[in-house]
This record gives sequence, structure tokens and C-alpha cells, in this order.
Amino acid sequence: MNDISEAFVSSLGLILFLDTELLEIILLSFKITFYAVLISSVLGIPLGAFLASTKFKFRNTIVSILFGMMGLPPVVVGLFVYLVFSRSGSLGWMGLLYSPTVMIVAQVILILPIICCLTFQIIESLHARYDEFFRSYRITKFKSVIAYIVDSRFELTTVILAGIGRSISEVGAIIIVGGNIDHITRVMTTAIALETSKGNLDLALGLGMILLATAVLLNGFILFLRGKYLKVPGGTI
Amino acid sequence: MTPEDSQIIIRDLSFNIEGKALLHNTSLSLSGDGITVLLGANGAGKTIFLKLLAGLLTPLSGTITSNKKTLEMKTRSFVSQEPVILRRTVLKNMLFVLPRITHEEGTLAKGLLKMMGLNEKEHQNALTLSAGEKQRLCLARAIITNPEILLLDEPTANIEPNSTTLIEKYLIQKVRSFRKIFFVTHDINQARRLADEIVFIDTGRVIEHSSSENFFKNPKTKEARKYISGKIN
Repeated sequence: MNDISEAFVSSLGLILFLDTELLEIILLSFKITFYAVLISSVLGIPLGAFLASTKFKFRNTIVSILFGMMGLPPVVVGLFVYLVFSRSGSLGWMGLLYSPTVMIVAQVILILPIICCLTFQIIESLHARYDEFFRSYRITKFKSVIAYIVDSRFELTTVILAGIGRSISEVGAIIIVGGNIDHITRVMTTAIALETSKGNLDLALGLGMILLATAVLLNGFILFLRGKYLKVPGGTI
Repeated sequence: MTPEDSQIIIRDLSFNIEGKALLHNTSLSLSGDGITVLLGANGAGKTIFLKLLAGLLTPLSGTITSNKKTLEMKTRSFVSQEPVILRRTVLKNMLFVLPRITHEEGTLAKGLLKMMGLNEKEHQNALTLSAGEKQRLCLARAIITNPEILLLDEPTANIEPNSTTLIEKYLIQKVRSFRKIFFVTHDINQARRLADEIVFIDTGRVIEHSSSENFFKNPKTKEARKYISGKIN
């Protein structure tokens, strides 16, 4: 058996016997992803819905900036957050550098524009259909934004899942701001990077398999939702 | 109140898009009750005129008044040719347009759905209704807001005949006596069945306005004669 297959077998052992270190890393990864996606969704979905359904002076500029932010390089975001939260930075007094909290902040900066812009695209097409109806019944802006979100709930679920996928697989920003500290800020992606560089392939492969399974499950769930709710014979439900 | 008070008075109404006039200086005095059918060939400006009456478009110039007051949005309900259905149940679609939902309004909504033959589908996803059922739902939803003026843009185009019959029957028997109705249609026979008065529009100009009887018996313009005979549509 060569090194890779040995590492593969060993990694399966870590997964099957629920290795404590492996579990700790996985749980922290999911926790950071959960909070990052929750915050991004709570802010990004209403903002995207509002931008898609409202015309005001600097709307196009804001939308262009947000679309541009979808492609932010994670390491640049990591560096920016690092500078802000480092001791000499403007928020250094909070002492959050190398903590899970600052990792969530970096993730939110990366995911928020994605969730906001995807929401914008979905609700923009819905707005084209609903706008005249809402105006003719004098539906308030608040009620119409809620209606847009409720009526595109299945599409928005796929947006949230896309945010989860982006968050859980992110490494560049969180390794800079989190520092990859054992038992404190080590998550799946940063652990894989570290363990691979150390030659500890069994833990890296075990985490890699979990990460891969998560990505496959998320995509499978998106496809399931699309099939079940978004495309039905005779039209869209 | 004099008959003139209840009339809908349109003065110098114009509408342009990118410099192109789609409705030319239109002045009319329309009956404040009954059904006014807007007729005209494709692209004549019927829908533009209806949307101006509905307050959904802002005119370039001119005014629309009723009872000597400018029409308020809350007095009007507009139903478009393409039914706009929200992704929720039939009953929730009805209640959505209400600012607040009371027990009485819930009962009224159910009553209106019954009249429209949709009472057994009130908990069904409204998007699964047939085209005719969707349009009936839209009409019931327009009525529940208790508008003074109901504006219907080809509500029976592309729907099954039984839904068309039900809608026409409902408008004639239940709605006409309480509300002013504006109805756009391409169907001459439907216009004959429904109209109390006809407004005939040609290339953005109202070229004929008379009672339904006069219009069909004795059309004054050659465009209207051609339209009635089916030479233009």
C-alpha cells in the first residue's frame, strides 16, 4: 500500500471513530459558517430585495459596487480585516484578532455581496411582474419587500445554500485573521492547508472528505429544491 | 348631486413615451356608472388610456376628475390581461391586498370566492389554478378592496369560455349596479353584451364616444365601421 492509500484508510478511521480533534475542527467550521451565513442572509436578502424593487438616485452605483464585491479576493479581505482588527487598527481595542468572531466578520464581507446580488437578480425579475399590481393596490414598500422575499423563498434557499458553500470552503481570509490556532480558530480548510504542508495526510484527507461531502450534499440539496419547487410541469410554482 | 357631478371628466389628457405621443390631447365626459368599453385596433392606445385612468401612468398633461375632485388611487382597482398571482393560497391572495384583515373581510373574501366558483380551492396554491380561475381570482381580489372604479384590461383574453361567461355574468349582475367599470376588449360581441357606452380609440385619439346602441347601429367614423365589420383588429 502506498502513502496515499494508507492515509486514506487512516482518515476513514478518524471519521468512523469520531476523532475528537477532527470533530472539534468540523464543529468550529460549521459554527463560523452558520453565523456568517445567518448574518449575511439577514442583511443581504432584504437589502437585495429593496434594491431590486426601489429606484433612487445612487441605486445603480450601489448595485454596481455590490456586484463588483462578489469577486473580492479572499486574501485581500483577510488583509483588510487584519489591518482593521490588529492592535494598531481602528478596531484593535476590541481584541478580536485571531478569534472566531473576526473570522465571521471576514466571511460576512465575502458572502454578503454574493447573497445580496443573487437576491437582487431573483427579485428583479419578480418585481417586473408584481410592480404594477403592487402599485395598483397601494401596497407599502415594507409589505412588498416581504412579499418579494416570501414569494421567492425557494430560489432564496438556493442562494443561502450557495452562501454556505462559499463560506465553508473559504480559506484565504480566515487563515489571515484567524491565525489557524489549534483548538481556537482552526477550521477544516485551514487545517487541511496546515496538515498537508506538515505531511500529515490522514487528518487532511479526513477533513477533505468531510468538506467534499458537505459540498456534494449542498449541491444535491440545491438540485433537489430546483426539481421539487422551481420547475414543475406546466410552469413554475 | 347633478348628473354632471357623477361623471368622470377627462381634460386634455396626453401621454408620451420618449417623445412619441401615444395618447393625444383627449377630453371626454364619461358616465359615472355602468360599463364603458374601450375599443380599438391593436396598438390604438386602449391599455395606455386605461392605465392613465387607473393612475398607473403619469400623463404628460391633463386631468381626470370625478365628482369635481381628482381621482384617488384608493378608489380604483386595475386588473391586467396577464393575471398577477402571488405564490400562496387562493384565500391568501385575496387577503393580501387588504391593509388589515378583520373577521368580516375574511368572510367577505370567502363569499367573493364562492361567487367566482373558487370556494373549494381557497386553500390551494393559487399558481396551480387554470388561466380562467386565475383571472376570476384577480377579479374577486379587485372587488374586495371595494373600489369605486374597476378597470379591466382584456380580462377574458386567452381564458376558457366558461370563465368568460362567469366573469361577464358577475360583472353585469353583481358589479355594474355598484361600481363604474372600464373594460378593454377586442371582442365585438363581448362589447355588445357588456357595454353601456363605447369609447373608440384610433392611433392614440378618441375618435368616437357614444352609447353602445348608437355605436353599433350608427358608427360615425369609417375607422369604427371598419373595426365593427372586422376589417381591422
